Amino acid sequence: MVTPARKGDLLTSRLAIVPLLGLGLAAGGGCVVHTYQPLSGLHRPVVVDPTAPNLADVHLTVRCLTGPYVHTSDANVLCRKVALLFENQGALVTTSLGGPPDEEEDRSEGPAEPRPIDLVVELRARKIHEASPPLGWVAMVASFSLAPAITEFTFEQELRVRDANGFLLSEDRLRGRIVYWYGFGTWASNKLLDATVRESADEVVGDHANRALSDDLYAQLSQSVFDARMQARVLDRTATPGAGR
Amino acid sequence: MIAWAPAAWADPMPNLFHSRSELRGWECEDLSMREGARRYPGRVVQSESRAVDPDRRLVVCAERWLRPGVRDPREDAILSELKATADGLARAAASTRPELRSRNWLVEVSYPVPLVSGKLGFAVKNALVDDGLSVSDRHPALAAGDVSVLARLPPLDAWPAACFRWRDSGALGPRDALLAVALLDPRETALHAGLCVDGGWSWLR
Repeated sequence: MVTPARKGDLLTSRLAIVPLLGLGLAAGGGCVVHTYQPLSGLHRPVVVDPTAPNLADVHLTVRCLTGPYVHTSDANVLCRKVALLFENQGALVTTSLGGPPDEEEDRSEGPAEPRPIDLVVELRARKIHEASPPLGWVAMVASFSLAPAITEFTFEQELRVRDANGFLLSEDRLRGRIVYWYGFGTWASNKLLDATVRESADEVVGDHANRALSDDLYAQLSQSVFDARMQARVLDRTATPGAGR
Repeated sequence: MIAWAPAAWADPMPNLFHSRSELRGWECEDLSMREGARRYPGRVVQSESRAVDPDRRLVVCAERWLRPGVRDPREDAILSELKATADGLARAAASTRPELRSRNWLVEVSYPVPLVSGKLGFAVKNALVDDGLSVSDRHPALAAGDVSVLARLPPLDAWPAACFRWRDSGALGPRDALLAVALLDPRETALHAGLCVDGGWSWLR
């Protein structure tokens, strides 16, 4: 039999848990470590230097296709960044979001000009898998964010390069995995490791995952487009034997 | 934490046990449980229980033979796909000109590194033999004057000219077919293939 005084103590202790739980959620919500793992294709060796003029004789159309995973605004941003990547390598770049490319204007600039190579780069992203086990969130709240809650997803970036006639020169599927670790425990332990044991190239907390993903993606895009450029030159020579370059 | 530690150790993500640099030396792929059970029978067991999430995924990792950075990146890219590349080149040659199946096949490789050139030639010859073709180890010779002229031409022009000279000098006869494998630019990681038959040259890819 519970006395009124004990009942009151029990009620007070239960009510006290609520703000503590809220504190745990707030603390966990602000402490996020996200990591990136390259899967198929994203960390293949790359030879091309993205800062060199590798594509000086190329007219490039970059098409960023939208979908359930990539909205128009995201596709816009991706297209601008990829266009800048190829412009830095000397290509003349136009961009479009989905749909067929605009009518080609006459780019001939006189009889002595060598014929440029016209390439179309199509980018399409999709989410392969996403998981966020509910038990992890329960554990995070119950442990006041010492135990982490985890959300992970696997994405695929599809890359196709075609010549001006629509012939497929190269096709690539670049897969990667992103994991978000929510919780003060994970954030603090990784922050401590970053400060004490890990070298700067191996640091985890911060924006390192985004930078690593960008570096890998842009390197693979540069290499694939350059290989496609060479393939287009060979096919062009096959179609017009003896054509001088 | 104790229960979480083994899972963290097994997860190929930067964590307490593996650095990001170390994990770059792993080749990982993402599979469905069904595909994992098919490719790794006995090691991956697909549960039929309704309590198990049917959309669970598997990440399978294997350590690379060589750490990144040990080999030149171009060699690393080409040699890590050697069998697939050689099979693809042999298939392209045999399927594009099926009437040449009865000919004696020779292989010439143009690659800046002799050791890699040898590996490529050997792999392509093996692939042609696997395809049922008759392959010779002979290398067609050219006169010194021809070599000095061809060396000054761009690769896209040199190969057709070399093919013409092989026919004229008798190095390649009417019973021969030559499959050439070439790297046309030091910045690319894809190889090109061409066919020299009866003095006529054609690029396959």
